[in-house]
Amino acid sequence: MMQEFDKNDCFTLNGKLALPYSYFAGRVGSTFITTIRDQKKIMGVRCDTCNKVFIPPRQTCERCFSDIRENWVDLENTGIVTNFTVVRYDDKHLPRKAPFVLALIKLDGADTPFVHILDGIEPEKVEVGMKVEAVFAKETTNTILDIDHFAPVTERVRVIEPSAPVAKQEKKELSKDERDQLERRKAMSHKVIITAALSGAATMKNQNPNVPYTPKEFAEEAAKCYKAGAAMVHVHAREESGMATHEHDKIKATHDAIKDKTPELIVNLSSAVGMGKTPEQRISQIIHVKPEMASLNTNTMNFSIVERKTGKIFLDYVFENTFTMLQDFGRAMEENGVKPEIECYDMGGLDNTLIIMKQGFFTFPINFNFVWGVAGGQSFRPDAFIAMKNALPPNANYTTCGVGTDEFPCITLSCMLGGHMRVGLEDNIRTPKGDLAKGSFELVEWAVRIAEIFGREPATPDEAREIMGIVKR
Amino acid sequence: MGKRVAICAVSQIKNDGDYWYLRFQNMLLPCLEAILEQTGVTFDLDKGIRDIITCSDDVYDARTISNNGVTDVVGAHLRGEEKMAQEAINGLGYAMASILSGHDDVVLFMGHCKETQTESRLMNTNLAFDPFYSRPLGLDFINANAFQAREYQDKSGLTDEHLAKIVVRSRENAKKNPYARENELVTVQDVMKSSMIADPIRELHLYPVTDWAFGMLLCCEERAYEFTDNPVWITGFGNCMDSYFLGDRDLTSNFSLKRAAQRAYEMAGIKDPKKDFDVVELMDSFAYQLPLWAEGVGIVDEGKGAEWIDGKGADDQNVNLSGGMLNGNPIILGGVARALECVLQLRGEAGKSQVKGAKRALAHGCYGAAGQHQAVVVLEK
Repeated sequence: MMQEFDKNDCFTLNGKLALPYSYFAGRVGSTFITTIRDQKKIMGVRCDTCNKVFIPPRQTCERCFSDIRENWVDLENTGIVTNFTVVRYDDKHLPRKAPFVLALIKLDGADTPFVHILDGIEPEKVEVGMKVEAVFAKETTNTILDIDHFAPVTERVRVIEPSAPVAKQEKKELSKDERDQLERRKAMSHKVIITAALSGAATMKNQNPNVPYTPKEFAEEAAKCYKAGAAMVHVHAREESGMATHEHDKIKATHDAIKDKTPELIVNLSSAVGMGKTPEQRISQIIHVKPEMASLNTNTMNFSIVERKTGKIFLDYVFENTFTMLQDFGRAMEENGVKPEIECYDMGGLDNTLIIMKQGFFTFPINFNFVWGVAGGQSFRPDAFIAMKNALPPNANYTTCGVGTDEFPCITLSCMLGGHMRVGLEDNIRTPKGDLAKGSFELVEWAVRIAEIFGREPATPDEAREIMGIVKR
Repeated sequence: MGKRVAICAVSQIKNDGDYWYLRFQNMLLPCLEAILEQTGVTFDLDKGIRDIITCSDDVYDARTISNNGVTDVVGAHLRGEEKMAQEAINGLGYAMASILSGHDDVVLFMGHCKETQTESRLMNTNLAFDPFYSRPLGLDFINANAFQAREYQDKSGLTDEHLAKIVVRSRENAKKNPYARENELVTVQDVMKSSMIADPIRELHLYPVTDWAFGMLLCCEERAYEFTDNPVWITGFGNCMDSYFLGDRDLTSNFSLKRAAQRAYEMAGIKDPKKDFDVVELMDSFAYQLPLWAEGVGIVDEGKGAEWIDGKGADDQNVNLSGGMLNGNPIILGGVARALECVLQLRGEAGKSQVKGAKRALAHGCYGAAGQHQAVVVLEK
């Protein structure tokens, strides 16, 4: 029934439909996406009638037609792969080059899985049932891709195998070297170590334009701090955009830039890095760069941004520091000749350290930092400070830092009691007068004045190494 | 059972992998002319065609209101004209409702889809997903169906070899069908060696890019014999939609297909779908779907799809003797093509595939990711 067609001089025309558009995301959709974008938090909606938590969210339960638009539930950023496929073709609608994995992921706290990209694993190794976590996008697209992808939850870092039964340390006699070191320290008890925390992970240039981002800015700021009296700088490396980075090359570039310009300085790197980093990302950079010192965090805690006047929560975040991480990170540092600076945000963190310390891998002397004023930790109170000082193990060093207006009161008390001091734009962007600090160096200058009042002298970097038991590189 | 609706004539062009030299209007015209010739129906406003249902897709036709592009060729000027922007098998339900409600006596039903017009079927099906939660992830009808395939294979024990056998059988059956897309015969080994495109789906597990058009004439029971001596009756129709998001669904429960089938069976008085049909046509756009849908319509016990493939159950129950969609029909027409094949069987016009004395047939179609929307039609001689 089809006639034969003469195909001579026939041709096809190449056309294209390209139709840019903007959709209203809806109120439920807007809330869902902006919460991911601004708070790195994934939410579902719960139908109380059906006892089901849905993601993606919707305003009406399709099963019972209940209005559920207000029933937001916080979900975990972790979940289980329930199904997956490996996309092995390339096409213009696909977000990644082939091969990549699309998975159905059931988030912890949700009843329905949802589709997302799974990365950070070879496609052949993906399995149903594996535990994954969200990796958030650096730049927003106002879509589900504000979660960039999911990645396998990293096995807790095991740099060295757990040792055989651990010897009890409590009543250990000091060795001759340790006794000698203690004597030298006592002779230097009038010296106070001033640390400048140059950046942190969250202080941005829009808060204080003097926060360094690039290696060059870090090097210049560190040199000024050294000149002002600091013996050590504490560093969270940044990308050009200001985002905290876990990339080895960027962190090493920042570390080396500081050391190149001021070889004397002790560089103390963060093992927290910034929000949302995996344990592997947090410790592997320390092992890669091998700074003289690095922070070691002691307690899983809230680490949030709140408006203190109103109690409004801007950003809720859980800073994960399990016992295993305390143990494994601590061992990795000691094994690689990196002296841990043990960060205690409250008495619980100190107690955790006293427990793990019994494994015996921490080298003498142990150095603590009491941190005050984190939303999720404790505010500065002199009696709490003294309680923590009194709970320290024998012959430990301690320094202190405080967020915002806690900074100068806490370092003053520490200096008075014989401890050390940390200041810097990571913790506080203003001088005691209330002006924006010209840089961390200006805060160091204020710390030097406090030391003068109590008749103490800023320690040189070499004196600081002696006090803290750091091997110079 | 009240009044019935008759299918008085069907027509089609051959399924083809590249009608580059035909516009879709060119594809439809011979289908219309064949209907007119078979039935003698006219466009007379008293006695002839006053209502036309067409099926097409804006995105595949690359224009808005795609039915407007075929108004001339289907004779729809100054007449009722409706478009089924869905799997065309639902147009049968729509035509049936028009006739049973007394809206009109005679309905012309036509459809086309030229998949080769589009650079990528997958870019098109990506548009079936919402723009916030799903589309940016690159979901399309292959990778979304891959989730269903994996889950069904895990549940039923359907293996890569089973899938290969389904493809081999489809192509062998299609060789007996003069309107089927001309594909090379393949062996089980060929299929198992074809490249993996979205695990566990291989290149040969899905229907090839195809162009096709069809026509049908439907009529009320009283006037059916004005147009044919050999009517086929629609005695049951049902459809059902499952949840939108993949994660909200049980991908292997056949939730919507079971309900669609149940509605059609109740209407047609089907008691035992395993025995009551002489011919079954299932819309298997992917190989894994043949046993899955067979379970859904109840011709195979739940979870026994793999055994059914091993035991030649599809041959015993005359399932997809046409080659099925797997051999090649375009999207949105794979279900109506099943109904058309059933009509040919019931009229005794199925040529080398003919099942002798076929009296009752089941046709199935679906649309959306992983068979979200399902429709079932019961046809009788």
